[in-house]
Amino acid sequence: MKKIVSLITHLFIPHEKNQYQPKAIQLDFLSFYLVLALTLNFGYRLLSHTSLQILGFATDITINKLYQLTNEVRQKYGLLPLRYNKNLEKAAYQKAQDMFQKNYWAHFGPDGTTPWQFILQNGYQYQYAGENLAKNFLFSDGVIDAWMHSQSHRENILKKEYQDVGFAVVNGILNGEETTLVVQMFGSPEQSSLNTPSQKNQIVPPVQAGEKKETTQSPVLAQTEKELPSGKKISLISFNYHLNFVLFILLSIAFISDLYFANRLGLLHLKRKNIFHFLFLSFVILSLLIVKQGKII
Amino acid sequence: MKLTNHLFDYLLFFTAGIIFLIALNFFKGEKLIEFILFLIFISFYIIHGIYHHAIKDQLKLKIVIEYILLGFLVLFLIKLLIFS
Repeated sequence: MKKIVSLITHLFIPHEKNQYQPKAIQLDFLSFYLVLALTLNFGYRLLSHTSLQILGFATDITINKLYQLTNEVRQKYGLLPLRYNKNLEKAAYQKAQDMFQKNYWAHFGPDGTTPWQFILQNGYQYQYAGENLAKNFLFSDGVIDAWMHSQSHRENILKKEYQDVGFAVVNGILNGEETTLVVQMFGSPEQSSLNTPSQKNQIVPPVQAGEKKETTQSPVLAQTEKELPSGKKISLISFNYHLNFVLFILLSIAFISDLYFANRLGLLHLKRKNIFHFLFLSFVILSLLIVKQGKII
Repeated sequence: MKLTNHLFDYLLFFTAGIIFLIALNFFKGEKLIEFILFLIFISFYIIHGIYHHAIKDQLKLKIVIEYILLGFLVLFLIKLLIFS
């Protein structure tokens, strides 16, 4: 215990043994962090090239987590949980693939392709249908949070008429950039089709997410997604994100500690740079909260 | 030497940081633009820091290295996060 306290003191408190500057922010330690960062960059690139399971870009988004969070939100609002539907999952995956192939990010394709086509192609005859889209988020909860803060997406998630849901999380190249797309597709089966399969093809034009068209057969746009190919990426991105957070916070503490003790000793003029370092790291820490978010439509 | 003597420099850097966060929020989800914004902000931090010490006649090699090391450390860790 005494050794731990001594180590923390050595790293974060300026005193005689560390030349009155916390060891954590001395040049040799800063150099060590930089070498570590370079090694991580190099190691990750090497891993991406040697492992077929790792594509070179990743998120911590999983279908299971998205499904769980979606139903948690619905239950919180007193709604019935959605059933997971494999046909909607296939439709969501095909929608994501279509966006990569035709290089667009929208509910409707440049050639007029609609989300409902994918749903119908996969044998799901709907009475209501919806689609939510997201891209480049790092974590599942960020996706659900973003949708819940958007009125149209929120209405989709909380639509009481929906009974089924399917997700796809797909990696690919969009506009020349490595992109992770999340597609969530909702639906409720056509009542008549349950009894008379021959009537399944009677479809009403779709309605975008957020529109309040009170038609019993109006679908609402939502997103599709697909499972990530590897669990390894999940842990890597999560590890990297939290490593950044912890390192930047510890460095901030060391700079502030150094500044505080310099002020007490009347040596503030020698440590004024610490204010810039602290401000810089504070903005970087805040930026981490933004970087983990993506875009929704 | 009081901190208030350098208020303008602190405010300038603080303003730059706020603009950086706003821009980052505006372009969230666009990985390349996000990285370019980081690159600009980190460059500003290093140049501003060195310039600040230079005009006060307090510039030392150790200070320059400190700014560069911290700037590049953030750059490489963020690069790994955005393009992982």
